[in-house]
Amino acid sequence: MKPEHYKFPLHVMFHPFDGFWDLKYEGRGKTRVALAILALLVLNVILQKQFAGFVVNYNDPRYLNSLDDLQYTVLPFLLFCLSNWSITTLMEGEGKFKEIFMATAYALLPLALVNLPMTYASRFMTLDEAPFFYLINGFAVVWCGYLLFVGIMTVHQYTPAKTVLTLALTVIAMGIVVFLGTLAFSMAMQIYYFVYDIYRELIFRM
Amino acid sequence: MRKLLIMLAAAALLAASLPAAAFAAAPYEAYTYNYYRDSVPLPAPFLPERAVSGQELGVGSFKDPNDIYVTNDGTVYILDSGNNRIIQTDDSWSQVEVIAEFEADGKQDTFSDPCGLFVTDEGRIYVADTGNARIVVLNGEGEAEKVIRAPESDILPDNFTFAPVKLTVDRAGRIFVVARGIYEGLMQFDENGAFIGYAGTIGVTQTFSDKLWRMLATDAQRERMQLFIPTEFSNVDIDYKGFVYSTSIDLNSQTPIRRLNPSGQDVLKRFGYYPVMGDVRFRIFGSNSGPSRLTDIKVLGDGMYTALDAFRGRLFTYNDEGELLYAFGGKGTQLGVFNTPVAVERIGEKLAVLDRGKNNIVVFEPTAFGSAVHLASAHRFNGRDAEAVEMWREVLRMNANYDIAYLGIGKSLLMEKKNKEAMEYFKLGLQRDYYSLAYKRYRREQMQENFGAFMTGALTFAALLAAIVLARKRSKGREARREAGAL
Repeated sequence: MKPEHYKFPLHVMFHPFDGFWDLKYEGRGKTRVALAILALLVLNVILQKQFAGFVVNYNDPRYLNSLDDLQYTVLPFLLFCLSNWSITTLMEGEGKFKEIFMATAYALLPLALVNLPMTYASRFMTLDEAPFFYLINGFAVVWCGYLLFVGIMTVHQYTPAKTVLTLALTVIAMGIVVFLGTLAFSMAMQIYYFVYDIYRELIFRM
Repeated sequence: MRKLLIMLAAAALLAASLPAAAFAAAPYEAYTYNYYRDSVPLPAPFLPERAVSGQELGVGSFKDPNDIYVTNDGTVYILDSGNNRIIQTDDSWSQVEVIAEFEADGKQDTFSDPCGLFVTDEGRIYVADTGNARIVVLNGEGEAEKVIRAPESDILPDNFTFAPVKLTVDRAGRIFVVARGIYEGLMQFDENGAFIGYAGTIGVTQTFSDKLWRMLATDAQRERMQLFIPTEFSNVDIDYKGFVYSTSIDLNSQTPIRRLNPSGQDVLKRFGYYPVMGDVRFRIFGSNSGPSRLTDIKVLGDGMYTALDAFRGRLFTYNDEGELLYAFGGKGTQLGVFNTPVAVERIGEKLAVLDRGKNNIVVFEPTAFGSAVHLASAHRFNGRDAEAVEMWREVLRMNANYDIAYLGIGKSLLMEKKNKEAMEYFKLGLQRDYYSLAYKRYRREQMQENFGAFMTGALTFAALLAAIVLARKRSKGREARREAGAL
């Protein structure tokens, strides 16, 4: 691991305008690093659910499932990238899919970095101090939102107003993608059962 | 030799099968709710011992009996409403007396469809004589001491009809009456039978859809709509301190059980994870759906009380903090399940449930588990923590899934300042408030004990940090100088 691999994401985190510009135009963003950030986030989510202090951990241990955590983190992420890409392509965005992917992943860094220490700190917290846990986690989420906003704006070379509009449309597009996905899935199931029924009918009659 | 072995084996088998035969399986599954609102099966806290019918008492079968009362000395009074009589017997069901008529104002008089009954420890019998619109107070000899008729008061409407249904009496002789068609609360009468006023008014509950419909309706429609009136009480009981426990059947309410203080406010403790309302997990649609319909309540003492759900035929016992200790019972035809249960009473350690549908009384006997739970709760209620922990451990030995036992032990350990152990138990009982409290104390303890090490660590860390910062500054300075020199 070279210093640029971890130095640049940190630079993006603290200097988003400068950082995302470099990410796009200086080619300093790396897909590998983006994937690593995503992996770190997934790991932290899993660890937080399992190991956060009893006082703040309301997860039912009977239903903890790391694979679920993986898919509920990665799939929405991909869904966002995909929807944003589809929307911005229609709205004269300059970003390529790879750039959107990287910008979104780099924007998630605060969440990935704050989660793990907070998980550890929460083990030494009482109910009186629990609000700090939620406050800092909330702060990380807001920071992520800000980075995402700047990232999308820089990658597509949008004005702030247009960025807000595209982000709103992205959310709607995510809904549409989910809807179409469900539709396609249920139709595929219908076709599958249709074929399966015909097969069974044939088997019974032969 | 071989024969001997076989015989030994046979004897061992026989011996092993004997105690099993002594246990009768309960016709119901007992349960309680855990932190996640799942019902967790329990060993049966009570097992049906026997059913007592009118024939067995030798007075002919009951007809629609409506109430039962047991005094502290174990005398049982059964209000056999359909036959307009009171049957008095003892806790062994052997000596039976029938009170069918009584002397009032020098004339012989009878009841008419009486619904409620209360007996003081002196043997004074209060009967809600519903059909005759009066309350009759009988003394031990079966003579009417007092007859309370429809009260006259400014706060009562002119067309008021007095239909007392259930009643209870406090030590000062004040009578609390549940009357049909009275929505203002419990009617209170003083010891002379004069109407004092209402106690414990139930607020009107309006669901969101009700409000929405009312908003959308026109004035004409609104006038034809059903009035929103508060729910009536369904039953009352009183504890030794004079607090009135009441039940009401309100399907939208989270507080069908109330504990009224002398000024009529609800002071029931509800510190459990879910409302004190019988079942908290039930079907919303379809058959057997909806919340419990609590028709009777009995104070067991030591803060515990049992409520009777006539809808699903279940008994719910809560402790003083409003935590569900156990629920059991059901509907059916076997011994121990009910048709139309109407009243629950306590006979010493046993419970008796009057079943109007089956015209009998089912007597339940506590099991080892049930007694242990009661004893542990009583110890904790009375502040005998050491004994309580002992009992809770006994309970846990019989049922390791019993959250309340973990909490009970945890609370006692907390009192003894054994914070670390208490934390363990609160975690097992999933009680975050108490866990946090125990942890706070434990953390402070640890900090105080290890103050030296803690401060040394912190100072070393600070010194290390300062050294690193200094070193970086110096190396940067050197770099800058070198670059300057290179130029």
